[in-house]
Formats: sequence, structure tokens, C-alpha cells
Amino acid sequence: MTPIRLDLVLREAVATPYSDLVTRSTGVAVRNHLLATLRDRPLADAHLDFSEVGFMDFSCADEVVAKLLLEVAQLPVGRIVLHGLREDHAEAIDHALDRYDLTLAALTADSGRACLLGRVAEDWAPTFACLHALGRTAAPPIAAELAWPVARASAALVALADRRCVIAHPDATFELGIAR
Amino acid sequence: MRVIPVPSHLDDRSLDQLAASLGEWPPSEPVLLDAHATEWSSPSGFTALLTLGQSMREAGLPTPRLALPTGDGVASYWAKAGFLRHAEELFELHGKVPRRRTEEQSDQLLPVTAVREARDVHEVVGRMTERATKLLKQELGLEASVVGGFGQSLSETCQNIVEHSGTGGWVAVHIYNFRRRLGRKAAVIAVSDAGIGFRRSLEATQAKRFGDRWGDGPAIETALIHNISRFRDPGRGQGLAGTKRYLARWQGKISIRSGTARVAITPAWDDEPPMTTGLAWFPGAQVTIVIPAREESA
Repeated sequence: MTPIRLDLVLREAVATPYSDLVTRSTGVAVRNHLLATLRDRPLADAHLDFSEVGFMDFSCADEVVAKLLLEVAQLPVGRIVLHGLREDHAEAIDHALDRYDLTLAALTADSGRACLLGRVAEDWAPTFACLHALGRTAAPPIAAELAWPVARASAALVALADRRCVIAHPDATFELGIAR
Repeated sequence: MRVIPVPSHLDDRSLDQLAASLGEWPPSEPVLLDAHATEWSSPSGFTALLTLGQSMREAGLPTPRLALPTGDGVASYWAKAGFLRHAEELFELHGKVPRRRTEEQSDQLLPVTAVREARDVHEVVGRMTERATKLLKQELGLEASVVGGFGQSLSETCQNIVEHSGTGGWVAVHIYNFRRRLGRKAAVIAVSDAGIGFRRSLEATQAKRFGDRWGDGPAIETALIHNISRFRDPGRGQGLAGTKRYLARWQGKISIRSGTARVAITPAWDDEPPMTTGLAWFPGAQVTIVIPAREESA
């Protein structure tokens, strides 16, 4: 699915040439715009591209990402994945998600590194990183890589799949499902 | 006519002297703010003076007079900082008024700017353009990621005006040398509004918890230390929390004055107490954020 460019959504939502995601009212407008777009694309994953966004403050991170994630749970939408995040974007989003016990997968702007944002249990980040490195795989190779019991790797993968940070396949394999 | 002397060096701390000279509020007689001997003002001083003028206008009081500094170049600097452009709308200016021109200066990231609505916050953040980013890097040795956090802090402090004050306010951002306290340069974000203040903003939801102890100090502490806003939404109150995290990482400082109290989160280089109560009352709320240069850039 083609990523949704947040800078373009911003301009459409507030009808101005701003490129900064700042102020709560702007965040609400952008979220509503995104929700309308996602309602038109049932069952699709939502890839949100932040690469052309300037500053993003904490209020917008809360309104655009955290509250979007909460509302999308009520819609027939697949996963939400964030792309093109700068370090300061990631920090604001990480903090906003943590307030609601939410977790998201994201790709950073500089290196395209995959990371988790928000509430992240201790085993999730190494599992996620390992899956990113190995590609689609089952729990045993992850467990071998991390020198863990298979049950531990499996529990982390299932938890990440429950939070829609990775994709669980019927053959007990998992993948990030985001561009590498 | 009540003559209120403006301190020779007006900043977030010496504002207390100005507040003490104000006396009862509202003043029972016309006011003259006498800045003829003022040699320097920080952005906090500029925004606070405008807040005072705005408060007097909103209280329906006679237009206060402002005697401009007479020292060499001081009034010109006040004009270039964007202060006089706004002051002439709120004060009857006395003294030689320099050409009213706001100039881009190396020490000004943002001249004094009015903030009344969300659109103004966009404008303010939008002006943190390439030039400002370059100055933060050149003058303070800050990296790009630090500049991002700076924009976030600026946006959040300006939004507090729009979200909580019930009226408009002012913002200015300068870089100057904190020679005595810090020994190097720092960027200062000063935001001041003439609104209802922290105590009234939080009273309905928080006063009961404090009982007799409720006042300006506990109200600021509730917002700044405990990240609580008047909204029940868990996503609210996080702007200050994020700003604090950013400042902690870069040895920055934040202080908030509202009503009769000031609460500060201070790094090792500053000696301001965490909470000061019993100050002379001043209208609205004043937020000052200081982000020091990296040590090797001093």
C-alpha cells in the first residue's frame, strides 16, 4: 500500500502551507482526515509517512498517532506503521503511546531502521530487531539467535503480533511486514 | 500617577521587583512604568512588560505610560527586538521612540511575537526556519536532534497560552551570554500571557486535594512537576513533561511564575530554589526556558 504522506494530509486538513505538526487542534484535524481516508480503505494497513514533516510536538503526537491508534481499533483497518521518523518525531510519539500502553512499529528517516515505539516490554525490542534481521521466520531461529528458550521467543512474538507490530502467519512464522 | 520603576536589568527574576512596585491590583491611579534607567531586558522582561500592559487594558484601566530607556542604543535594541511594535499599542510611550523596525539579529531567534490562537503557534514554529536552526547549531553547538526538541518545547509553551490562559500572550526567543550564572551562551524562550494563571486554571479539578494549602505554588507544581492539566484526557499535560525531559538531557532550566509563586526545575549551574512563594502578585503566567550551549562551544 502506498504510504500516506502526513505533510500532504496536514495541508489538506488545515488548508494552509504549514509543514509542522504542531498544536492540538491541528492534530485533531489531521487525525480526522486520516480516519476518513482509512474508512475508505477497509482492511488495508496504514503506512504513515512522516519524512516531509518538520517539527512535531507532543500534543500532535498524542492526537495524530496515539488517539488514531485508539480509534482505529474500532475500524476494520489493518496495522498502522510509521515511516520516515526523525529522532525528535520518534521521541514525541514514543512518549504519547506510552501514556496509553500502546506500541507501534516504525522506520526511522535516516537509516530506515525498524524500531518499536511506546510501551515496550523487555523481550520485545530484541525479538523485533532479530526478526528484522532474519526476515520471515518462526520462533526457534529467533530463540537460537538470542540464546533464549523457544517459549520465551514465542511469547514475545505473539505479544508483538497481538499489538500488530509484527504479522503472525498461519504456519507459525512471523514477519515485520514493513519495507526493509 | 503611580510611578513604577523598571529594574535596570529586567529578567525573569528581577520581574519580582517590578511586581512589588505595582502594589495593589488593579492600581487605583494611572501608572507610569519608568524604564528610563533600564539598561537591558531579557526576552522574559519584554514579554512580561507587554503582559502588564495587556492586563491593564483588559481590566479597563487607563492606558499606562512607559518611559523608554535613555541609555545609548537601549531603546533601539527594544525596537529591534520587536518589543516597541507591540508596546505602542498597549502603552503611551514617552521619550525618544526609535525607528520602529524589527531586525534579524544574530542574538534573536524570534522577536517578540503575539500568540492568540493555534495559527500563531504555527507561525512561531514556522519561523524556526533554516536561519534559526543554523544559529542554534553555530551559536550553541546544538545538533539537529536538539533543535527538534527546541521546536517542540517552543510549540508546547506557546500552546499553553492558547489552551489555558483564556486570552492572548507573547513569546520571544533570544540567545545571549549567561556569563555570571552559566559562563556560556544560552537560548532563552520566554512566554508570558495575561490570562487566568495556573491556580484558576486548575482550581476546579485540583484545589480540593490540597485543601488549605491550595495556592499559586501548588498549582504550578501540579502542572510542572506532576504533569496534570485541567483536562481528564490522559494525553493532556504532556507538553510540559516532554519539555522537562528535553531540558534534563541538555542541562536546561524551566521556571514558571504565576500569581504570587514561581516554581523552577534547575540544573546544577543555577541556584534558583524549586519553589518561591509569597512573591508580589503579577498578572497571568510567565514561562522561561533556558537551553545552554554545549560546554565546548562556550
